Amino acid sequence: MCNANGDQPIRLKRRPIAQSIENLDQLLSLEQGRMSRDVFWDKDIYEQEMERIFARCWLFVAHESQIPKAGDYVSTYMGEDNVLIVRQKDGSIKGFLNTCPHRGNKVCFADLGNARQFVCNYHGWAFGIDGGLKGMHASETYEAAGMDKSEHGLHPVAHVDSYRGLIFATLDPDAPSLADYLGDMRYYLDAVFDMDEGGTEFIGGCVKSVIQCNWKYASENFVGDILHAGWTHDSGAKAMVGGPVAEVHKTPEQSYHVNFNGHGWEFNQDIVGNCATLGEKELLKYLYVLQPKVAERLGELRSKMIGAISSCTLFPNTSFLPGQNTFRTWHPRGPGQIELHTWTFVNKKAPQEIKDMWRKGTMMTFSPSGVFEMDDGENWEYSTRSNAGFVTRQQDLYLGLGHDTRVEDTDLPGNVYQGQINEANQRAFYQRWLDLMKADSWKTVPQRDVPKMKEGV
Amino acid sequence: MNAKTTLPEIPVDAETQRRVEQFLFREARLLDNERWDDWLALMAEDIHYWMPTMENRRRADKNGTYAIDRGALYNDNLRDLTRRVTRFKQPTAWAEDPATRHAHVVSGIEVYQGGQAGEFIVHSTFVNYRSRVEKDNDLLVGRREDVLRADGDGFRLARRKIIITQSVLMAKNLNTFL
Ligand code: FES
Ligand SMILES: [Fe+2]
Repeated sequence: MCNANGDQPIRLKRRPIAQSIENLDQLLSLEQGRMSRDVFWDKDIYEQEMERIFARCWLFVAHESQIPKAGDYVSTYMGEDNVLIVRQKDGSIKGFLNTCPHRGNKVCFADLGNARQFVCNYHGWAFGIDGGLKGMHASETYEAAGMDKSEHGLHPVAHVDSYRGLIFATLDPDAPSLADYLGDMRYYLDAVFDMDEGGTEFIGGCVKSVIQCNWKYASENFVGDILHAGWTHDSGAKAMVGGPVAEVHKTPEQSYHVNFNGHGWEFNQDIVGNCATLGEKELLKYLYVLQPKVAERLGELRSKMIGAISSCTLFPNTSFLPGQNTFRTWHPRGPGQIELHTWTFVNKKAPQEIKDMWRKGTMMTFSPSGVFEMDDGENWEYSTRSNAGFVTRQQDLYLGLGHDTRVEDTDLPGNVYQGQINEANQRAFYQRWLDLMKADSWKTVPQRDVPKMKEGV
Repeated sequence: MNAKTTLPEIPVDAETQRRVEQFLFREARLLDNERWDDWLALMAEDIHYWMPTMENRRRADKNGTYAIDRGALYNDNLRDLTRRVTRFKQPTAWAEDPATRHAHVVSGIEVYQGGQAGEFIVHSTFVNYRSRVEKDNDLLVGRREDVLRADGDGFRLARRKIIITQSVLMAKNLNTFL
């Protein structure tokens, strides 16, 4: 399903950033497992990220279930660009910059809702849910000036598409298809977002908070860092289940890092390990009953991922936890700040009590008051802030775990590494980051990863 | 802030008002001093401790700013509160060590008779200021609606609804009760 926005005249004049940073290669020595701290601090690097990552990549913008009816909309961000994602009368989805093309005021101040039109507070320009300019206060004056309404609609995002209920958009007209962008990661996404025939939905609204950290600290944590859990989250685990976090470093033969195009997933196959941290037996029972059915539809391996100890980041800044069922986007707000938006996802066909338990579970664990998230935020803030030190910033950082763990002989899609205590996904995340930062257009982004899945599967 | 009290606002005598105020001031001091277990002991068995998150919606939107089945930072029963206290007390609660310094300021206390005998509806406003290590300073301001239940010489907290002004929590976490 592809909902490219219509053929409105392009009124966006792209001004490439003044000067692209040279010698970006120096920042990363991934083979040696080393990287510079500048990527977390430098303002020019941040500006270049806005252009070459956030104005280019497919970014998560909404779940289909948030906007079921025509006129339903959510206000969200692509990088620092505020966008409206709107369900159309024909069921398709469009996205627009949430800014008035007249003098630039913000058009919609609600986080979500249902609209027949969006009317700007400043001079009363009124836009249809398709983004077109339909009318304005004192319209005769514009007629007298010879202004053509059809040229002044809300500025559309370049493309909108969805996968298994997750809606993505890109601001780059030359971006590859979403299927190509996600590539083999789709195989694993199905383990969570297609584990049940009805698919998933978001419930309970969006919880938002601010963390004073670089966005990549959050993304790299979820792309592959289960290592921190056993240490950082000891107190949370004792609170929720009365004991320490499972010692996953002792059983690498049952777990993996997989990555593709900078997206990454670390997981073992214990079916319910993440879910167990919510301390609700009914949820475990629900997953155990579901697992054999998932095995029939998706095979044994993916059926064991449905709530296992695992985490995933979709490049660049969207992450989720199977089993704990938190879904989140880390919106960048300068090199040293993020705005965190989190939702709870559940299987649409799950009983209401089960959905409610997951809604409470995400609140108890992965929300600003949650017993796990509290300790994450502090780590990322001080990993970022230390880099204010001029000399501190010259000292590089280690990222070398799991160097010789690549599994070549496998049918599994993506790049596969043995053992979930690993930094292979983090290295792949930063390799993708570097590739995008160096490229002046999508055409020059190297395609490192060879897909095993076919387009459109 | 659209807290709705459906019961008529029947005031209480001055002595009850004073005792309720004393209860809330003492509660604030227990939290300032991280006396988590003493604080938990103020809760009724059937406590519902609720702090919804605020959504920006148009006034015409019937769904309202918050609702029981939407986002929340607390939507807790006694077991949930106890689990949170268990984390605070772990030596491995890294983000609590060194200790956070808290100030819970409570004001604007109004006390009315509750729906059941021995219950009171209590409105109050609060300012919460937290300071961590060098310069992490977080401010939360809001309003609470409580149901207190007479218990021996004192009270227990049976319901609390906490409404803060922020829709985006301007802090990395919420490591206290309000
Ligand atoms: S800025 Fe929107 S109508 Fe003028
Ligand atoms: Fe964590």
